[in-house]
Amino acid sequence: MTRKSAPGEAQYKRPDASMSLLINIMDHSLDEGYAEATARRAVRGEGGAISRAPGTRLLVAVGVSLIAVVVTMAAMQVRATAPQAEKERRDLVNRIHTREAEADRLQDEVESLRDQVDAMQDRNLTPEEVKRAELLATTTGADPVEGPGVKVVVDNAEQDAGKDDPNADPRQQAESLANGRVYDRDLQQVVNGLWAAGAEAIAINGQRLTALSAIRAAGAAILVDNRPLSPPYTALAIGDAKAMRDAFERGPGGVYLRHIGGKYGIRSTIGTEKKIKLPAAIGITLRVAQPEGAPPTGGTPIAPPPAPGTTAPAPRPGPSGTPGTGTVSPSESPNPGSGDIGTKAPTSSTTPGGAATPTKSGRPTRTPTGGNPATSGRGKPKTDNAAARDDAPTHEEGQA
Amino acid sequence: MIAVLGLALGVVVGFFARPVIPHELEPYLPIAVVAALDAVFGGVRALLDGIFDDKVFVVSFLSNVVVAALIVFLGDKLGVGAQLSTGVVVVLGIRIFSNAAAIRRHVFRA
Repeated sequence: MTRKSAPGEAQYKRPDASMSLLINIMDHSLDEGYAEATARRAVRGEGGAISRAPGTRLLVAVGVSLIAVVVTMAAMQVRATAPQAEKERRDLVNRIHTREAEADRLQDEVESLRDQVDAMQDRNLTPEEVKRAELLATTTGADPVEGPGVKVVVDNAEQDAGKDDPNADPRQQAESLANGRVYDRDLQQVVNGLWAAGAEAIAINGQRLTALSAIRAAGAAILVDNRPLSPPYTALAIGDAKAMRDAFERGPGGVYLRHIGGKYGIRSTIGTEKKIKLPAAIGITLRVAQPEGAPPTGGTPIAPPPAPGTTAPAPRPGPSGTPGTGTVSPSESPNPGSGDIGTKAPTSSTTPGGAATPTKSGRPTRTPTGGNPATSGRGKPKTDNAAARDDAPTHEEGQA
Repeated sequence: MIAVLGLALGVVVGFFARPVIPHELEPYLPIAVVAALDAVFGGVRALLDGIFDDKVFVVSFLSNVVVAALIVFLGDKLGVGAQLSTGVVVVLGIRIFSNAAAIRRHVFRA
């Protein structure tokens, strides 16, 4: 590895000295042993030609065969492991398909059972009760609904601002990025505004909202009933389309949207739709409660689905005020998010613990004022545990 | 001629004997392949340069494989096996490329 140094090279610093390693590798790519062996042969007078002695050729053969063995072994190894990986992948895919089929089958079962329940209900209930059950099913989200309504689309602010400016303060950029995002509380405001405007049923991105739905944030994602949504957020509300749109735009929801649109660039559109189809809420469970000390009666299989405990949101035309005597009903958490329109601190978008936070957006604003649901006059006992509800925010009753 | 026979023999042995590579040696196989390729290209280039030497060829191949495996082994023990493997592959890769370029110049005069 000795470099033949030209005279005077000691003082002269090569301009590419920093690349000497690379140059060394490139220049000495051929094993120097060959040159040295040739030089030795030249000294011994054998000349530079390849020697033809049989022993020599045997040695070459041995070397070549060794190399061949190594390369072949490697090839075999690769061939042996590739099917293994392929097999594992296929197994995984098969498992996924199996589970998917299973889930589909269970979904079918759920639907057929639901039909059975409906049929039994129709057989066992008086016409008035059937009517009431249907109404409750609609209001609790147990049944899909369709009708005219309002469509509110909320999306993050466009992120072009300042992107091209190389001198922009990255911290400020991050802040504006965070401010331009739709938060859970923004959606809560929209949903509350829609309820206040007279919506009878609401779904966000296909997630039907029930009285117990939670809209909350987990990191940057917004969860509705623990299912993550991605922007743009489309809230569909069924009701008297035109009146509802006007009421929403005039009401707190519209005011809020305009405010965050002006201040943070949150994009939103409000429009009416002739026909909206909302799916049934998923994960509705029937909950029955008895007065203390009473014998267990609620467990009968064909219990009228609108069990006394239902928290059916009393729609305007509905039998408001009748339900909820002596029953356990989930408390409606107030809607503290209605204040503080001006401060949109990014840090508060997460809601630790979940209790008594603005994350419960169930149906808190039934009153036209859109204010505190505690004033809605339902007077239900607030016996449900907020923390427990946070664990399972999707439970709902009123299987119809 | 005998070299070609050796090549065929090696392939046959590697293919049919299916030597089971001990599990501990498995990580060194790729490195050994790269070292072997380096020796092959060096040998061919030396052949075309007219300075081929059988002893140098075999010894360089064996030492390449052993040293490369040793470096990777040491690296594994020290927790920098991946980096050292990369280093070995880079150095041998550059050598393979420049030797292949020299061979190409010999063969195609371009």
